[in-house]
Amino acid sequence: MAEPNTRPLHDPYQLPAQGSYFKRLARSGAPLNLLYAPALVLFVVFIFYPFLRGVQISFTNWDGYNQDFKWIGVSNYARMLDDPDMATVFKNTFVYGIGSTILQNVIGLLYALLLHTNIRLRGVARTVIYLPVIISALIMGYIWYFFFQYDGGAINDILLLFRDQPSNLLGDPKANVWVITFVNTFQYLGIAMVLFLAGLQSIPKEYYEAATIDGAGPIARFFRVTWPLLAPSFTVSMVLNLIGGLKLFDVITAMTNSGPGYASASLSTMMYLLYFGREDAGYAAAIGVLMFVLISVVSISALILLRRREVTS
Amino acid sequence: MTVRSKTLWLALAAALICLLHLLPFYILITTSFKASGDLSSKWVMPGYLYLDNFVNAWREARLPVAFRNNIIVTALSVLLIVLTGSVAAYPLARRQTGWNKFMYALFVSALIVPPLTILVPLYKYMVDIGGMNTYWGIVLLHVTFNLPMTIFLYTGFIGTIPRDLDEASMIDGADRLGLFYRILLPLLKPITATVVILTGVAVWNDYQFSVFFLQKQELRTFTVALSSFFGSYTNEIGWVAAGSLIGALPMVAVYLFLQRYFITGLSSGAVKG
Amino acid sequence: MRRWMTTGAAILITASVALAGCSQRPGGTEKNAGSDVQNGSQTPANTSANSGGSSGGEKIRLSVYSTMNEPKNQEMMKGIAADFMQENPDIQVDFQFPGSEYENILKVKMAANDLPDVFDTHGWAVIRYGNYLADLKDEAWAPQLTDTIKPVVTGKDGKVNVLVLSEAKDGITYNADILQKYGIEPPKTFEELMAAAEKMKTESKGEVSPFYMSGVDNGMIGQFLDQYATSLLISPANNEAQSLLDGTFDWNKWTPLAQSLLDLQTKGYINKDVLTAKYSDMPQRFAQGKVAFVIGGPAFADDVYKVNSNVKIGYMPVTPMVAGDGQNFSGGERYTMGAWKDGKHLAEAKKLIAFFAKPENMSKIANATKLPAGLKNIESNHEFSPYYEQFADVRVFPYFDRVYLPNGMWDVMCKTGTALIAGNIKPEEFSKKMKSEYERLRKQ
Repeated sequence: MAEPNTRPLHDPYQLPAQGSYFKRLARSGAPLNLLYAPALVLFVVFIFYPFLRGVQISFTNWDGYNQDFKWIGVSNYARMLDDPDMATVFKNTFVYGIGSTILQNVIGLLYALLLHTNIRLRGVARTVIYLPVIISALIMGYIWYFFFQYDGGAINDILLLFRDQPSNLLGDPKANVWVITFVNTFQYLGIAMVLFLAGLQSIPKEYYEAATIDGAGPIARFFRVTWPLLAPSFTVSMVLNLIGGLKLFDVITAMTNSGPGYASASLSTMMYLLYFGREDAGYAAAIGVLMFVLISVVSISALILLRRREVTS
Repeated sequence: MTVRSKTLWLALAAALICLLHLLPFYILITTSFKASGDLSSKWVMPGYLYLDNFVNAWREARLPVAFRNNIIVTALSVLLIVLTGSVAAYPLARRQTGWNKFMYALFVSALIVPPLTILVPLYKYMVDIGGMNTYWGIVLLHVTFNLPMTIFLYTGFIGTIPRDLDEASMIDGADRLGLFYRILLPLLKPITATVVILTGVAVWNDYQFSVFFLQKQELRTFTVALSSFFGSYTNEIGWVAAGSLIGALPMVAVYLFLQRYFITGLSSGAVKG
Repeated sequence: MRRWMTTGAAILITASVALAGCSQRPGGTEKNAGSDVQNGSQTPANTSANSGGSSGGEKIRLSVYSTMNEPKNQEMMKGIAADFMQENPDIQVDFQFPGSEYENILKVKMAANDLPDVFDTHGWAVIRYGNYLADLKDEAWAPQLTDTIKPVVTGKDGKVNVLVLSEAKDGITYNADILQKYGIEPPKTFEELMAAAEKMKTESKGEVSPFYMSGVDNGMIGQFLDQYATSLLISPANNEAQSLLDGTFDWNKWTPLAQSLLDLQTKGYINKDVLTAKYSDMPQRFAQGKVAFVIGGPAFADDVYKVNSNVKIGYMPVTPMVAGDGQNFSGGERYTMGAWKDGKHLAEAKKLIAFFAKPENMSKIANATKLPAGLKNIESNHEFSPYYEQFADVRVFPYFDRVYLPNGMWDVMCKTGTALIAGNIKPEEFSKKMKSEYERLRKQ
């Protein structure tokens, strides 16, 4: 992540090669890499190896608990193609991933701009907006369920003052995906906001002063100074939100349990339901692998695109 | 519009936003103070003082035990996360060989792995190495799964610290590890605050791992203990609400305490890096 | 300065809440634990169960997993375990109640071949857990298993898989007050049931929703389909049992069942928020007189009494769907105890199970769970005993899905049923989905 540093001669890590092999090795700085050995061991043991086993499972018809299973090649992957539920699940995953990323970044940026100014309540507002991040998403999901609940829900209590029919947003397969997107936005908005605040903090005041001297108004200042210099914040916030949104699980489980039917399921919840509910662990693992590939592709291409913007601006 | 009236409007906007964001917490509070037979609207504050929900949540979910477990697991995990993470980030930031760039990408890409795909292999491991129902077992898992974010932040942050500093102290004869601990670590305070908040919250609230790897009742963590009330078969909304309030307080306190470093840390760790 | 004040305030609040919690602990109202007479004697036992093997000497630790959810019933089980530990001071029984995560945890445990010494099979003693269970046919209590339950928990070669603590005999639980108010006799056929629903709905002007189901906890929808599949396909003299078993079943015959579920919805007989309501919302509405029928057993009765202790709850068998057929119950194991065959302490596990099988303990369990015991000649006395006696002669069929559907279909049935109610699919598509999954899963 650090900027490429081009200082060939005096860089203590790149001393000219000389002496015995071990001396050269020591001077090359390679032993420094030992510092990440503990982390690497943990990764290999607890993530990489189990993940490879997961990939293996995706080629079997394992039910998730019995000791015996059969190798069935790529049939689990082929099944996805004509599984009508998967179309919904894909669509939902994208709504959760991209919808909440856009919302979180737009609102998060607006909040950051507001709370970067020197106003009263600034500290309080920052804390309040960040608060949901600190509380478990599962519990926040349940609180939001109390809002949208049909019978005795907080929103319907107000609606019923104006009309006879309570609304049933969570039961409506078209609406509930957006309700969940909204709740997810609310839950993690704080992260986008603090990233933008951090970005704003690192913009030198002189840039604004220079722009003001050039006769730029507040809007011009925003587009000439703030927007380009916020690019790194944007990159990080977009990528983190994309990964979080595409992996969304807790909020869905708390609010609709993927229902009605699979109408609000995401790849994550679908994987869970298949694994534990339908005893279809092989298929679930295939979905997990697909999910890993999908998120990698989306987030890496977003990263490349956004980094390019950082450089050009 | 004068500057004064403008800031007044902005402050008003901030106040409105605060109110909006406090709505769910308001509902949480009214719910936690209501008796279970009280069917009034969720907007209405109870007209009586009723603390049974707190008492019941505290006792029925065995929150004192859960608290002890949470504190032990979170403290150990965060400590190890900071130690392994900061140390690992140092070569990744300072020695940008092709191999290290690859390693960096590998570490960070672990953010994407869906936990459920690895649950069963992980579980088998834990049984084999005797890590089931132990603090160290769950701590190792938490450390591993929070490392990608930690490495990402530390690498970014160390990248912003001028290299001259390293060189100067190397000339003074410090070896690299000594250099790291004596010179760099103190400078890492803000990003460490950020890491502590982000990973501390993740570990404190964890449900997925804790429910499988700490099954014994006396080892239950907070979220798992509370979840027994909001399973399919129980209707103790008041208890859950009260319990979540109690459980959120320690993390809120930590956040408030570290808040001033938090954004500074992010600013150099995540944004400049 | 201000920040420090906020921090200080937060710490103060934390501390005061913590202290408030502590100081009120002993004096608090014992709403949950103390209401039952049985529990009085169990408080000390309970503490000893938690203090581990502190009293010196290496104890044998037995881990026991149970699906009991109600704190009151959990205490009852721990109480029996405490009596056992008094008789066997060298054994320490560790009870775990993972609640709604039970099945997930047990599945992962099976995958890792790391099961509890004793565990509950909640309806899956043969199909799911069979390979992991020790044979208990030589236990003294084994011949005492009731005639209805014995075949359900007996595997091939007469292997007895579990001790059945309580048997499920699932019919329909009803709100007797509502039925009385609208002058309705407990219905004996499906038509009568529908007529009763219509009458309640119209006369109460929508106040009463005749049935309660939940699309979130969609097992409630599954329960309807499962019990009425028996009425439609298994219980009639001219039934489909054989064709379902040999795979020749014509799935078009599923469509009428799907249609009748959809009819409940379109005619307004189910709670309007069926798709978003949770199971746990139901007892409250039942107590408020807003719900008349719940498909399945009365396990939730105590939650109803908590809201309104005067509600009268009735129980009846499932109504027949085919003319000329009689009523039926769907039956199976509810709470059981089986021993892990590879457990280190198999002998002690069997000893514990035998202790639970003692008549006085079986009665305790029957009274607490309000379900018939799985052993013969067990005295039980609770508000539903008269109903079980009244319907003692009604036929009991094993749960439809356990016998006639391949493993993994239950969830398909629940989810697709919910999608049907949501209007996402039509009854014919439901049948098609059932057919394709049935055929795919059978092949495995």
